[in-house]
Amino acid sequence: MGKTLYVLSSGELKRKENTIIIEGLEGRKFIPVETTDEMLIFGEVDLNKRFLEFCTANKVMLHFFNHYGYYQGTFYPREHMNSGAVILAQAKHCLDDCRRLLIAKKFVTGAIENMKKALQYYSRRGNIELDSIIEKLTVFSNYAKEQIGISELMGIEGNARDCYYTAFDLITGGGSFSMKKRSRRPPQNRINALISFLNSMCYVTTLAQIYKTHIDPRIGFLHETNFRRFSLNLDIAEIFKPIIVDRLIFSLLNKKEIQAKHFGAQSGGGIFLSEKGRPIVLKAWEERLNSTIEHPRLKRNVSYRSLIRMEAYKIEKHILHDEEYQPFAMRW
Amino acid sequence: MTASFSESPRLGGTLVWYFTICKREVWLMARGVEPDRDDEFLALGRLIDKTTYNRDRHCIDFGNSKFDIMREEKGTLVVGEIKKSSRSIDAARLQLAHYLYELQKNGVEARGELLFPKEKKREEVLLSEELKTHLDQVYQEIIAITSLESPPCAKKCKYCRNCAYNELCWS
Repeated sequence: MGKTLYVLSSGELKRKENTIIIEGLEGRKFIPVETTDEMLIFGEVDLNKRFLEFCTANKVMLHFFNHYGYYQGTFYPREHMNSGAVILAQAKHCLDDCRRLLIAKKFVTGAIENMKKALQYYSRRGNIELDSIIEKLTVFSNYAKEQIGISELMGIEGNARDCYYTAFDLITGGGSFSMKKRSRRPPQNRINALISFLNSMCYVTTLAQIYKTHIDPRIGFLHETNFRRFSLNLDIAEIFKPIIVDRLIFSLLNKKEIQAKHFGAQSGGGIFLSEKGRPIVLKAWEERLNSTIEHPRLKRNVSYRSLIRMEAYKIEKHILHDEEYQPFAMRW
Repeated sequence: MTASFSESPRLGGTLVWYFTICKREVWLMARGVEPDRDDEFLALGRLIDKTTYNRDRHCIDFGNSKFDIMREEKGTLVVGEIKKSSRSIDAARLQLAHYLYELQKNGVEARGELLFPKEKKREEVLLSEELKTHLDQVYQEIIAITSLESPPCAKKCKYCRNCAYNELCWS
């Protein structure tokens, strides 16, 4: 698997023979294209069509973020894992209400299961106030299993997440990172800004992993498919957000690696993670993705990043009637 | 999945090769579910293909097959197949025999040579009547496998460990 490159500085992105070059104020940097899978671009960079063609040829995905670190879009190179059989099967599972609901429910219950795991970790360390939230999540999970429509299911998912977010202040101790309630577009306080930022990291990471499989990121099951944007990555990311994003947030805040000074206010209202805070969060995020756990079936260590790709494989197997999808559940 | 493909699978060398190794691979490959591109063994294979026997002609398309090497030696045509290792030599023999059989059906008599550049080893393969009957059987079985509605279940075997499908099968 190739590397992920985070471009934080401004300058020019170029192709020089068969190498990627970043040219900026700090000089030239050469990046081998063979070992690069994706680039997350935060700085103001100039690039040309020749560079985009080079990225397509080498299957390098480019994700763009604006000044405030908000996701703007992805340069998604031409599909290279083409399987008509898989696309047809995926569309079929999406069009059939019954089959679609079955998969969508697994995303919701799997996500709730992992939210519980994230909270149980802190409950075991003496934060017993979390227990009532964990209980409520169990109720939501059971409730989700009984739903017969996607929109109702989405509603339950939203409620479960709201309930789960009430645990955040209990874990982080509030203070300058008090959440009160989840707010988006734009986030109203620091922790909401941090959640939004890392959630978008999770979405693009999942997208890049889906690209390596045969399934199509435009056809989602829980999130509505509208062909203007990717939706399957949002579905799969639900499973991993509690385990990767939220646990990372708790760790960053409890170790005080991220502080109030790392945030700024947007001119149009809202709070965002500043340019000073970004490298700290991104470094921790990359480390988290590359950390490994032992895979029970493969019997070897796999990184969280690979685990996301394997989740996409599981969906692929489900739609091919090979093996029923069971969402990844954190074991501790 | 109900079989919605009216076209029968393309019986290329890869399917014949996979047939000896893993039936599930045959099904997946026939449906266009290709193995992981990042797999290091596949990358090594591509590299060996690119860097060895450069003087001979490479990648000759013939029907659904692709020959690594083709040359003439004392009036007979020689088809060469390059492999990373001789670990799956039975599969390699069958694949090459399949090429020779395809050529014969088109009126071309040829001899085969398996090449293992890393091991500095080669082996000759001749198309016998026995091999031909065996291949006819294999074709039937490949068609039967590919027309199954779902892939044959994953079963652990000695090839799983280094297989580029292993993350798909055991995820």
